[in-house]
Amino acid sequence: MNGEELLTTLDKGKKEIHSSSTIENLEELRIKWLGRSGIINKNLETIKNIPADQKKEFGQKVNSVKKEIETLLDTKKNELLQANESEKKIDITLPGTPYPQGSLHIVTYAIEEISHIFERIGFIRMTYPEVEWEFFSFDSLNMPPQHPARDDFETFFIDFPAHKEYGKMVLSPHTSSGQNREMKRLGDPPVRMINIAKCYRPNWDTTHTPMFHQFEGVCIDRDINITQLKGTIDYFAKEFFGKDRETRLRPYHFQFTEPSFEVDITCDVCKGTGKVKKEKCKVCKSGWLELGGAGMMHPNVLRAGGIDPEKYTGWAFGIGVERVIMMKEGLKLDDLRIVYGGDIRFLEQF
Amino acid sequence: MNIKITYNWLLEYLETDTDPYEIQKYLSLCGPSVERIEKVGDDFVFDIEITSNRVDSASVFGIAQEAQAILPRFGKKATLKFNPLTQYTFSSIVPTGEKPLKVQILQPGLCSRFTSVVIENVKIQPSPEQIKNRLSMCDVQSINNVVDISNYLMLSLGQPTHVFDYDKIARHTMIMRESKKGEELVTLDGKKIKLPGEDIVIEDGDGKLIDLCGIMGGFNSSVQKDTKNVLLFVQTYNKRKIRRTSMTTGQRSVAATYFEKGLDEERVEPTLVMGIELLQKYAGGTVGSQVTDMYPHPHTPKEIGVSLDQVKKIMGVNVTTQDCKNILSHLGFEVEASENMIKVTIPTWRSQDIEIPQDIIEEIARVYGYHKLPNTIQPTVYVPQPKEVELFFQVQSKVKQYLKHIGLHEVMNYSLVSKKLLESFNLPFDEHLRISNTISEEIEYLRSSLLPSLVKNMQDNQGKGDELKFFEIAKVYKIRKGDLPEETYKLSLAIDTDFFDLKGIIEALMKELHIEKYSVNKSHGSDEYSYISPSSKSVLKIQETALGQLGELALEVKDKMSIKKNVYLAEIDFMSLALNYRLINSYTPPNPYAVIKLDLTIEQNEKMTYEDIKKRAMTESKFLQGVEVVSMYKNNISLRFYFSSTERNITEEDAKKELEEIKKKIG
Repeated sequence: MNGEELLTTLDKGKKEIHSSSTIENLEELRIKWLGRSGIINKNLETIKNIPADQKKEFGQKVNSVKKEIETLLDTKKNELLQANESEKKIDITLPGTPYPQGSLHIVTYAIEEISHIFERIGFIRMTYPEVEWEFFSFDSLNMPPQHPARDDFETFFIDFPAHKEYGKMVLSPHTSSGQNREMKRLGDPPVRMINIAKCYRPNWDTTHTPMFHQFEGVCIDRDINITQLKGTIDYFAKEFFGKDRETRLRPYHFQFTEPSFEVDITCDVCKGTGKVKKEKCKVCKSGWLELGGAGMMHPNVLRAGGIDPEKYTGWAFGIGVERVIMMKEGLKLDDLRIVYGGDIRFLEQF
Repeated sequence: MNIKITYNWLLEYLETDTDPYEIQKYLSLCGPSVERIEKVGDDFVFDIEITSNRVDSASVFGIAQEAQAILPRFGKKATLKFNPLTQYTFSSIVPTGEKPLKVQILQPGLCSRFTSVVIENVKIQPSPEQIKNRLSMCDVQSINNVVDISNYLMLSLGQPTHVFDYDKIARHTMIMRESKKGEELVTLDGKKIKLPGEDIVIEDGDGKLIDLCGIMGGFNSSVQKDTKNVLLFVQTYNKRKIRRTSMTTGQRSVAATYFEKGLDEERVEPTLVMGIELLQKYAGGTVGSQVTDMYPHPHTPKEIGVSLDQVKKIMGVNVTTQDCKNILSHLGFEVEASENMIKVTIPTWRSQDIEIPQDIIEEIARVYGYHKLPNTIQPTVYVPQPKEVELFFQVQSKVKQYLKHIGLHEVMNYSLVSKKLLESFNLPFDEHLRISNTISEEIEYLRSSLLPSLVKNMQDNQGKGDELKFFEIAKVYKIRKGDLPEETYKLSLAIDTDFFDLKGIIEALMKELHIEKYSVNKSHGSDEYSYISPSSKSVLKIQETALGQLGELALEVKDKMSIKKNVYLAEIDFMSLALNYRLINSYTPPNPYAVIKLDLTIEQNEKMTYEDIKKRAMTESKFLQGVEVVSMYKNNISLRFYFSSTERNITEEDAKKELEEIKKKIG
């Protein structure tokens, strides 16, 4: 092909590209022109038959045609793509394809979260019997036989012959029953345990269920003191509820700790001020919410676990799981019984 | 226990420049928690939570005692203006009458101190406004001057008292004794109480009961409009007996909540004397008898020592000897301090709660202020966690998440079920632990399986959703002789779609946990789970170990439970599942050779189950890699066979030949 013919062919090519109306057709034209055995390459192959003095000129011509075709193809492709794009119509407000949607119990979420928070500071999670002997639930916790918590109104007893050494069989009324078992399992400190479990007490009304969950932290070592208990609880509160929350310890009494405290956290609703729009906050007590009980382990409790209270000290706390998850999520349940009522309309929301 | 007192009332005992809100803040940090304040007129009402072992502080005076130790720590002035403990003594009483009272206490250990005095010629009338107002702010109803004084005394000093109409006590005789079971009396509030027995009661000279001691007086001896002479009655009782009687009879009077915590015998004296003063002042009475005081074991002071090192060890900070001494003496302790030792004599009102050095440390620490201690975290150390426990929590979390994601709902049921539910499932009671003091028949027996509760969930949720799919992971309790029950975790499922949906969930779960060698086979002759229908009852095994059962709820039970849709159940031993869990699957390299798929539709045949077909086909053909069910229609089942060789590419002809051979075997 000489230069003239090349130009004619180019004209033809331009027309073809212009009148092309699909991407697929355009692709075919690209192969026809620019493919391995396309028109351009075929022309370049003929260069060997061209006289030496015209070779350069011919080559330049072919190349300029090639560039022109390339530009045309690209431009046309863009045009077509844009046209295609603007033709697409979709109502994106229609619902997506449904996938199965189950649910976990709210207490499960709380337990997972609590375990992770304590795992990060080296606490292992343990599990101990829910059906216990009085010894582990009371005696080993410095609660003598006449203690009010041991009577029929505070603890579920099981119809079973009493153990010679350990007393009657009970449903553990708190997670603290695990303290003695963990001390005995390890033999010697250090102890760093988090025990999250079902507990049982004979109360059943809008604010109590006969079964509930507690989580218990226990830390025993040399030189364990109140500042660490305070720090650990504050760490938990800030991790679980948020950095802006403050905690405080208030003097309290528990048989198994001395000193004993109640732990309070600033209320999320009134931000610890006790007032919402100049009215008394209905959620808390003057800006504070009770979180749970805590204290330095009573020497009798350490002794019962085979640990020398002269050498070691320890702290422990116990907090209600249902309570903290409700506080965290601002969940307002008029009736706590719904948590264990198994109603699908409650369960499926979590 | 909570009490209410008022700010102005407190100021009768306490000299201070602290305002009510500061009092709330500071006391809550270091002592009793002031939960709420309410302004009423020109006064403020404090609602205060009293810690269970600090009943000694449950009064206006008790709070004043705490305040004078705590407030100065915040730079506030606080001193006791008036101390009833030293001001009110029996020696100040001059009787002007000689009215007799014969007292007998039949059993020892009922009453640690018994005091009384007759006040004669009282005039029953309404109380003065101030007493009325204060009582009403503190939620006590005003009755008349005499009864109000009794309540006023309790709120002032924390010692409940009672006032009898002296003339209604037959023969002026009181016999304090333990009640007999079934004895009856009518209390002040008009309730007829049938006594459980061994309660502390008083009978008069005619043998009629006139007082349910420590709880409520008898109606028959109560002060009325026409009462002339009264007996002021101040006692401390055996706290255990009071609690027991109060709880069993349901008479939770305010007096009982004081007495059941154990009161200071030494406070009886000032209370009686203050009572005489008030009755003289507001009821116009005169002292009409000698004071009766029976106090067999007077208080002996106790001493405790604690070293500064011990204080530091628990508190984590240094506190000086002087500071310790200061704190403790403000709380009423007599303190002797040397360089490193503090020795204290415990005040009478604290003899119940202070026993060991740690108790003294608590007193120092709380008044020093927990809020002043820094927050630190103890060093992290390695503590071994049993592998099995770790595995349990890890797999539990995985299983729960997985089941949620494939559309199941987690439920948490009570670990206890009713007798009726056990009956519905034909489960023998004697294989279940029973609560001896349950509060509801709904929660009487500990579960031996989670399935009855899950079926109950199905029943309770009928009509609340198109499809119900529940699971629960929880413990079951199996009785062991002479020991705690065996507590094992079960994973249980209940759904109302169909058997293959249930089986599919289990198969998917096995895949998720990378458990390969499991099987589901018809269960024959197992007594367990008798409430699963024999037509579909199957056993889940991993190799030869059975770890659970599944199938449809038997029609008989479904009918008893009035459930309309069919229910499909599975219960799996959770630990067995966890122990077979693998983090990742075993690896098979991809087969580079072609796979030929061939379909075959055959008629279903009772004698030749799908499992049989699969087994035979796999044994027959060396090229067969797997079989799949494509569809089922009526009695026909369409199967897809996958043929391939690991050594070469096979042809379609090769595969067809194989299929022909298989056909012969399964025909």
